[in-house]
Order: sequence, then structure tokens, then C-alpha cells
Amino acid sequence: MVADELDPAPEVAPPAQRMLILTLCALGIGGAASLAAIALIEAVEWLNRVLLIAPRARVQYEDARMIVPLATVCVPAIGGLIVALMLRYLSPLGRPLGPPAVIQSVQFETPLPDLRSGLTSTLAAMVSMGFGASVGQYGPMVYLGAMLGGVVRRLRLGVPNLPAIAVACGVAAAISTAFNAPIAGLVFAHEVVLRHYSTQAFAPTTISAVTGYVLANVIFERPALFLVQFEGVQHGHEFLLFGALGVLCAGLAIVFMRLVLRMTAMAGQMGIPQMLRPAAAGLALGLTALWLPDVLGVGKEALRFATIEDAFGAGELAVLVAAKIALTALCIGFGFAGGVFSPALLIGILFGALFWTAIDGTGALSTSGIAVYAICGMMALTSPVIGAPLTTILIVFELTRNYDITIAAMVSVVVSNLIAHRVFGRSLFDVQLARAGADLSAGRDRARLQAMPVSTCLTGDIIVATQDIPVDEIHARLDSSPWSEAYLTNSDGRFAGVLSRSARTPHVPSLQFHDGTTVLEAMQALRGFIGDAIPVIHRDTGKLIGVVSEASVIEAYLDISQSLRREENAVL
Amino acid sequence: MRFFSALIAFLAAPVQAEELTVVTWGGAYEAAQQQAIFAPFTEATGIDVITARYDGSLAALKARAADEGWDVIDMLEPTAISACDAGLLAQLDHAALTEGPADFAPAKLRECSLPQNVFATVMAYDPDAYPGIKPTSIADFFDTTRFPGKRAIRKSPDDILEWALLSEGVPPAQVYDLLSTDRGLRLAFRKLDQIREHIIWWQDAAEPPRLLTEGRASMASGYNGRFFAAQQSGQALSVVWDGRIIGHEVWSIAKGTDAPKAARAFIRFATRPDSMARLSERIPYGPARQSALPRIGLQPGTGIPMRDHLPNAPQHGPNYLVRDSLWHSHTADLRKRRFEAWLARGGDGG
Repeated sequence: MVADELDPAPEVAPPAQRMLILTLCALGIGGAASLAAIALIEAVEWLNRVLLIAPRARVQYEDARMIVPLATVCVPAIGGLIVALMLRYLSPLGRPLGPPAVIQSVQFETPLPDLRSGLTSTLAAMVSMGFGASVGQYGPMVYLGAMLGGVVRRLRLGVPNLPAIAVACGVAAAISTAFNAPIAGLVFAHEVVLRHYSTQAFAPTTISAVTGYVLANVIFERPALFLVQFEGVQHGHEFLLFGALGVLCAGLAIVFMRLVLRMTAMAGQMGIPQMLRPAAAGLALGLTALWLPDVLGVGKEALRFATIEDAFGAGELAVLVAAKIALTALCIGFGFAGGVFSPALLIGILFGALFWTAIDGTGALSTSGIAVYAICGMMALTSPVIGAPLTTILIVFELTRNYDITIAAMVSVVVSNLIAHRVFGRSLFDVQLARAGADLSAGRDRARLQAMPVSTCLTGDIIVATQDIPVDEIHARLDSSPWSEAYLTNSDGRFAGVLSRSARTPHVPSLQFHDGTTVLEAMQALRGFIGDAIPVIHRDTGKLIGVVSEASVIEAYLDISQSLRREENAVL
Repeated sequence: MRFFSALIAFLAAPVQAEELTVVTWGGAYEAAQQQAIFAPFTEATGIDVITARYDGSLAALKARAADEGWDVIDMLEPTAISACDAGLLAQLDHAALTEGPADFAPAKLRECSLPQNVFATVMAYDPDAYPGIKPTSIADFFDTTRFPGKRAIRKSPDDILEWALLSEGVPPAQVYDLLSTDRGLRLAFRKLDQIREHIIWWQDAAEPPRLLTEGRASMASGYNGRFFAAQQSGQALSVVWDGRIIGHEVWSIAKGTDAPKAARAFIRFATRPDSMARLSERIPYGPARQSALPRIGLQPGTGIPMRDHLPNAPQHGPNYLVRDSLWHSHTADLRKRRFEAWLARGGDGG
């Protein structure tokens, strides 16, 4: 493309300076995001202890008969009320934010929602998790990291694509800290947020991920989420079982995601005032937890139990899987702030354990033990939900440092991901975004074309005339211009037709755009079009906004492709 | 170090000719303390140490401390926590007592106590019972198929529940979280069910080495100090360090002490790395401070390299559990209830 040389990106700093800026940003954002993530985890753990959500705190009040049951029922409900109040009065947006907002910001080069909404969302997530709601911590951590990275957008540092890279750095550090898994953090930022690989973005996100890892693992010595002893897959036929588990997990993941979406949609129709919705979900959760305490909070203990044979009966596992799916969907749908990542991990690991229990119960096939199935299930269920097969595989590898278990998980993950992508969509985040009008399912370029209204590329100095001007006069103006058509409006500006150079009477053009027409739609409509330009008309008032020529639509398309190509191939 | 001795001499100067009553456990342990700590302390400060003995119980502390003028008490950490909660101990200013709080990790500096040494519950076996493949991990303790034979276990819910979960591959950091749930307790008791037929209960810490050498048990839980003593007296038994449960012995000051200054000077002296190292050279209790480990050499008299016998020596591997004293003291009733129900029912311990 010649256009590249003709049209260099504006105000670019020299390479050495860009390198320095990128490195410093990566270190700064990585450090800040990692510390913030650790602080969030600590705060949640502290709340869990104080509010008797954590088993280790609950057991110490075992003898005081009513304290634990009372806390179980009341704490999540009270937490729901606090979350509703916070979102209502502190957040301009009035809703929790998570990975979809991050993806949207990076993919469409728009700023993240305002800082106050972001901070409120983070605090609301802290309260939600601290008070035991069945929501996850990684979504809020990802948003928190992205928010810190988003601050860089405000500085004009002369590095192309920096806002997106900075957000990705924050995300990478957050995931790296959360799982003690720097490679997974780096891949997550690319797979879910950036959705392309360029050297320019790869290097800083790597630095951020490592910074997060060093802070979490070396300086604060945070314990790993998960340690598993595994001797290796002992039978070849088990890989078929891992594949089958992947198929089942895909189905369950689809059920889970559909339920989350359904609950969100239904919440408004149930007649519960918005302020009371999270509290209602909290109450339902608390009452269930009286009988099934494993559903409270993040469920780290249940995560471990699932890898131990005989810790659960098959019936218990099935009930717990169903309860966790329903309650997580309820908590998220009814307005608790928090993610779906860690509930998905828990649902998956329990389901994997259930799968193994069923296989083992038949006695027909020999297996290598429960742990590998539990972990395969965990990752095969999570991968379609967050749309990140590579990340989940790497999380297994970095958490367990076990090659055999990683290969087994890989089989389940790809099978599950393939099916869920085909049937449901790339991830819950993507489907949520698509429902909000930002469909990324056909690629970044198409999504951007779709997000760009045609009214942003109007053609200048066209001939517009009101109907009362004599035809000859309009023809005279056309003769002295390069145009062959004039656009007529009536006295109040409404579009009234096109007058071409060769005609005495105006005609209604075959093609009209309105203010909501996107560049993508325009491109498709322009096939076979002959003429100067297409009028763009306000949908409601019928007024002429302007006209757009075929050339300027193509130019807009080329601009978008060019900026994407620049970003995807940028070195520095 | 010269500065430190001078400081102690200076601090101790006004209390010269004072007597300090230190309460401890008697036996070989007290004899080692006498040589490693009490005598050098008197030498450095001129304060005489008078020892009293007790059974380590809270009841003894309540009944005798005031009458007998107890000043410094050698305690098990869970007892010290309970005694502190009951207001029987003086609060300690750790910043004034030690220059390196981080040096004590993983032990914790608690309100009324400063860790002094480390002991462990370990498993030991009779080598004659397993001439071929030897038990090497805590999981082997529960595996009566590969390693048949009686298991001698203390008749108490302490330690054995932790072992049950460790043997399931639960990482030490998560053991207490899981044991805090009903599911975790049930799992632990189900694990115990697997060896129920093979258990010989012991109550006196002197029993496990005897049960092993007399051939009445093939494996036993017990304290590392007791197994060490048995080995020294020529009895054949082997210690497995995997899954060891580490407990801390602490120093505390009685609330009603009449010599608080001398008591503090004593604790400061006793928790110096060189004092700890001298003790660990005499009995197999590890020093509570990391920096004392490299100073430990041979046992005076026998020439045994003592570092091999200390529970917190790094060569024994990373799979150990530090007993959570706070958790223990807060769950004592619950665990006792469940343990007795399990014993009585012969069922699932539910």
C-alpha cells in the first residue's frame, strides 16, 4: 500500500524514547496492577475471615450455636444491599464492570469507562466476594489492572497503540499475580484482550506479567492457588475420556453462560426493585449455604476436595454443580459485582470429579485417578466461558508444573472450546459485547467497520439546494463543479430528492443511508452502485445530514485496515 | 555479640543477686537447658536461675504460678495462647526482646510468647518389619496393603487428622483450611477408618519407641526427641521426616512475676542464636531462629552431628506442616467431640 508512506502516523517519538516509554509503562503498570490485585485478594480474605465466610473462621464458632448460621444467611444479603447502594450512589454508570468493557476499549480504541465507575465497581466486587457472594475474583482483577493501565491514555507520550498496550499490560500483570502464572498472564492479555500478536505489544506485556509474578511470588511469597501430585496418565484410552469430558464440559459451559445471560435479562422482569436485587440473590445463596456451605464465596476448599477421591459422593457432586451454576448466574444476574472465571473453575473441577466418579463407578475402564479428570474438567469448562483455550492450558502447566496433566487438559480444553465456540460463541464476554452492539465474532476489522457510522466520513463541498431554487440555477452550479448531482431539501431541511445534470425533475435515489448506517453496511450496499454519492438522512427527522461518496467509504475502510495492520505489525 | 553481652550485663546490673524462677519440664530437656542456657545466663548476668517443674497444663499454671513465684515459663504454644487469653501471662514487647522478628519465621511472635525451639511429631518404623521396600512418605502410614503391620498412634485428635489429609496429597498450607470444614473432618476420619483395625493407641510419649522395638507395632507416631533418644540407646528404628508436624516451644512471662526485668533479660538471652544453637547441640529440638541453624555442630560428648536430627533442618524436605496453635486451641472441643464419636461409633466419624 502506497498509503503507508504517504501518511505516517502523527507525532511519533523517536525509537529509543518509545522503547524507554514502553518499558517504564510496562514496569509501572505491572507493579501497580500486581500490588492492587494482591491488595484486593487480601481485603477479600480479611472480610471472609471477619464475616465468618471462610471455613477456618467459621469452625472457631462451631460451639456458639446460632452465630455461624446467622452469619451464613445474613452476610451475603447485607453484602448485596451494600453493593446495590454503592453502585447506585457512587458509580455514574451504575453497574459493575469487567472484562467485556476492557475488550471493548482495546478493540475499538475507545477509553475505558470513567475512573469513578471503575473504582466503585472494584470496591463493589471486593464487598461481593468478601460477603461471600458466588462470584469470581479474576474479572474484577482484570478490570482493576486494565483501569491502572488505562491511566496512560491520558498522557500523550507519542507511542502509537500505547493505550491498548498499557491496558493489556495491566491485565497481564493481574492474571500473572492471581495465578502465579506469568506465561498465562501474557497469553491471556493477547488471547482475550489484544487479539493479535505484535512485537510492540508482546514485549511490554511480558515485562508486566513478569513484574506481577516477581511481586506475587518472590517478594510477597503468595501461595500457589493449586498444587497437585500426579504420576502421569497410565492408559492410552484415557485420552478418549479426556475428549469426552471436553464434550460434556462444553455442554455444561453453554448451559452456564446461557443461564447467566438469562438471569441478567430476567432480573428486570421479576418485580424486585433494583436496590434489593443483589440482597435477594444473597439471601437465596445464604439459605442454600445453610445446607450446602461449599457454595459460599470463591470455594477454595471445594476446589481442593474435588481432587481427592471420596471427598464427595457422586450425588453431592451433582447437586453442588447444579447449585453453583444456578447461584452464580443468580448472583451475577441480580447485580453482584464479580466475575465468572473462578466460579467456572469450581464448577468445572466438580464436574470433572463427577465424571471420574461415574467412570470409576462402572468399573469398566481403569483410570489414573481423580486429579487429572478434575483438572481437565476445570479447564475445559473455563476455557469456553472466558474464550481463552491457550491461557487455560498454560494455567494448568504453570500451576501444576506437570507436563502429563497439561497434555491431558489440552485435549479436553480444545474439544470443549471448539464445540462451545460453534454453538454459543467465542466467550461469554464476546456474547455479552455482541448483545450490547459490539460484535467481534467476525474479526477486529469487521467489528470496527461495524462500529463506525457512515456519517463520520461525509464528503465535503457538495451541492445542496432547497427545492425553491430554479432548476436552471442548480444546473449552472453543477456545470461549474465536478459533481453531476445536486441534493435537494425542502424549507425545513428534510431531504427531497436528487437532481442530476441531465434531468429537469428530481428523483428519489435508489440508495439512501441514515445516521445509524455503519461503514460495513455502506460497503455492502455500495456493490453495483453507480452515481456520485449517497445521501445520509436522519432516521427520525428525515433531514439531510450530508452525503457520502463511494471513495470516502472506501477510504474509511482503508484507514481502519491500515491502522489495524500498523498495530499488528508494529515493532516499537 | 560483645556489644550484646555488655548490654545484657548493663541491663542486668541493677537486678544483681536477684533470683529468677524458670518453670520447665524436667528430664533430659531441662538438663540440656541447664547447660546451654541457664548456666551461661547466670554467668553472664549474675542472676541465679531456680527451676521448677510442671506438667505443661493451664491448670498447673493457674494453681501454682502465684504461690511459687514463677517468673519465666517454658510452654507449648497452644497452651501459651490459651493462658494469654485467660490473662495469666504478661504481654511481651517483641521489638525490645529481639532484633530480628523475621528470623523466627515460620514461627509467629504472639502477644505473650516468643518461640524458642521446634519439635515435631514424626512417623517412625521398625526396620525389621520392612526389610524390602521402606516407607518414605506419610501416605505410607495409611497404606496397610503395601506396608502391613500395626500402627501406634497417640489417642488424641491432635496430629493424626492433619496426617490423614497430608496423606491425601493436600499441601500443608491448605490442611487447616480443609480441616475447618465438615467435609474435611469426615474425609480425615474416613482415612482413619482404613487403618482402624491396625491401630494401637498410646498415651504416654515414652511408649511409641518401646512399641516399635518390642515388635508390637510396625509404625508409630511420636515425638522426634523420643525417637532420637531411643536410637541413641541402641534401639533400631527409622524416622521418616516426610509429613512431620512441627510445633513450637515458647518462652512466656507469668503475669504476676516479681522480677519482670530479669525475666526479659533471660528471654533475650535464651533466644539469642548462639543460645539456641547450644541447646540444639544437646537435644534434637531445632532452633526457632533460622540464623541459629548454621551454628549447630556436634553433640558434646558423643560427636553426633545434630543438624540431621532437627525437625526444621532443610535436608528433611519441604513437606512439613507447622502446627497452627491458634486453630488448635480454638477447635479443641470440636475435634475432641468428633474423635470420641468416631472411637465410640466405629463408624464414619460423622
